[in-house]
Amino acid sequence: MKYRIIIVILVCILLSAFHMATEQLFVAPENWPETTYDFSKNPLTLQKVELGRKLFYDPILSKNNSISCASCHSQYSAFTHVDHDLSHGIEDRIGTRNSPTLMNLAWHKSFMWDGAINHLDVQALGPISHPDEMGEKIENVVLKLQQSKKYPALFYKAFKDSLITGEHLLKSISQFMLTLVCSNTKYDSVMRKQTQFTTQERNGYMLFQKNCGSCHTEPLFTNLEFENNGLAVDPTLNDSGRMKVTGNKKDSLKFKVPTLRNIEFSYPYMHDGRFKRLSDVLKHYTSSVLQSPTLSAHLQTPVVLSSNEKVDLTAFLLTLSDKSFLFNPKYSFSK
Amino acid sequence: MKFFSLLFFIIGIQFASMAQTPESPAIVFGPVFGDSKLQELTYYKINDIDSVQFTALKFYISGVELIHQYKTVWKEANSYHLVDAFQEQSLSLPLNVPTKLKYDRIKFNIGIDSTTSVSGAMGGDLDPTKGMYWAWQSGYINFKVEGKSNLCKTRNTEFQYHLGGYRFPYNNLQSIFMDMPASQLHVVLDLKKLITEMPLTQKHHIMSPGNEAMLMMERVINCLSIKK
Ligand code: HEC
Ligand code: HEC
Repeated sequence: MKYRIIIVILVCILLSAFHMATEQLFVAPENWPETTYDFSKNPLTLQKVELGRKLFYDPILSKNNSISCASCHSQYSAFTHVDHDLSHGIEDRIGTRNSPTLMNLAWHKSFMWDGAINHLDVQALGPISHPDEMGEKIENVVLKLQQSKKYPALFYKAFKDSLITGEHLLKSISQFMLTLVCSNTKYDSVMRKQTQFTTQERNGYMLFQKNCGSCHTEPLFTNLEFENNGLAVDPTLNDSGRMKVTGNKKDSLKFKVPTLRNIEFSYPYMHDGRFKRLSDVLKHYTSSVLQSPTLSAHLQTPVVLSSNEKVDLTAFLLTLSDKSFLFNPKYSFSK
Repeated sequence: MKFFSLLFFIIGIQFASMAQTPESPAIVFGPVFGDSKLQELTYYKINDIDSVQFTALKFYISGVELIHQYKTVWKEANSYHLVDAFQEQSLSLPLNVPTKLKYDRIKFNIGIDSTTSVSGAMGGDLDPTKGMYWAWQSGYINFKVEGKSNLCKTRNTEFQYHLGGYRFPYNNLQSIFMDMPASQLHVVLDLKKLITEMPLTQKHHIMSPGNEAMLMMERVINCLSIKK
């Protein structure tokens, strides 16, 4: 009998230890929607997350070993490419789209501006094999990793198998990206009733809910849908967005609604990086939304904002910055 | 000692029974070009002037089921196989069927189902390093054939057909039903038929899901037959 009690206690301690370990790797904030990513198929472990982090920062993933994921997704800009409207790849080739921020990806249903990627695990295949980005084949990446000094041991530690596979490579990169949770903005603190908005921010919040919240939906600040927000087509790129994937005319010029978390730091803005400042973005919504057959229902009535209201709205947008995310040592390059 | 002789006896019986059942149930694919077995980098004559050679022929077989009198009596577990025409051992898919199971038909799919296509990175034959996963628009390539022909006015006279798609209305998974013998089912895939039906002169590349991929897949299905 005594033994039984001891065993039960031991099991409880063990379970709670496991629980603690996973809890630290990924915490879904309270009152947020359910995550989309199926963690049961790729349970996070410290070793796998760390391996993924190494890979994310390692140019070994590119053809001439010059570009890593972080080259286009740098932490200090919420994992986008600052100062570049279209992202730069190997041999200075220029892509056709602006790199998006990487935050709260566990909630996303599809990836890329047009949703061409259907699962986070297979996301990395895109940039690795794109001739203008990393220009490498996944088969070769696996070979290079297998022949390297350090990676077989790291894969062994993570997967109990030193034979490196595409599956394990991709799943570990996913694990790292899943840990990139942004939930400590001033906005979040206000929602948790730990602090309060200034009058200006509160006013901006109301304007936001009225004009922007239908697409940039709280708490993720995206509804994760594809919408046409009335941007004029750039004739040099002719990007039809979601229609490229579905072949359906109704999806023409629709792009995945980006989050506005850390928007202060993730300029330039939009899928082609056409706007450098938030004031340009607001000007777009108030004065240059283009009518077209696929313009979102949420923008059919024009957005009207006085210049004071624009200031207030901007003040609110700045409450979406999360310094604890941008400078989290767990997300940065590891030696 | 007794133990060992018993062991040998059992092993002996095993071997004997293996030898007795002539062939355990399997699907065996036989890619051919007309009357010839298909070989890599070999030129085949289409007619007196034109010829063709193949550099790759790979496809997925999934969802294998055995049927007895219109009812499914057996489903293969984890049923995903990558068949590569130029890798002999991949051409034969042994079916681990319980002995004495009765069946008369077989069902299998060419390609990968939509659920698996949206489930992220997989291992084994489904590993993205197998060259059968699209990088820029997620999804498996169900059927891939590549080669060269003087009929193709392209760089290096190449053609490439990557047939896939899991999303409505371009879901390109094809289910095939065939009569199943007790032992091995020999399925012939005749590329001569495919080449003569497909407009090599006009269409050299299919690299994404859509109508063209659907049409081409139908042609592929028409090239399958049971070896008598
Ligand atoms: C050359 C620059 C570049 C490199 C290198 C790069 N990316 Fe990207 N990334 C982009 C661009 C551009 C997009 C958007 C592409 C599109 O929408 O078509 C993107 C999109 C993404 C997305 C989708 C985000 C979303 O919200 O939909 C993820 C995730 C991502 N990249 C992860 C990675 C990983 C992991 C690597 C390394 C294996 C990597 N990227 C390497 C430029 C890059
Ligand atoms: C109809 C839905 C919709 C509404 C309403 C909407 N947006 Fe957007 N927003 C989008 C889409 C879609 C994009 C991406 C468009 C693109 O790049 O083609 C976007 C992009 C942005 C960006 C750039 C983000 C980045 O990372 O590049 C900002 C900033 C932004 N919106 C702010 C706002 C503000 C502020 C409002 C309210 C005045 C608002 N949006 C209203 C759909 C909407």
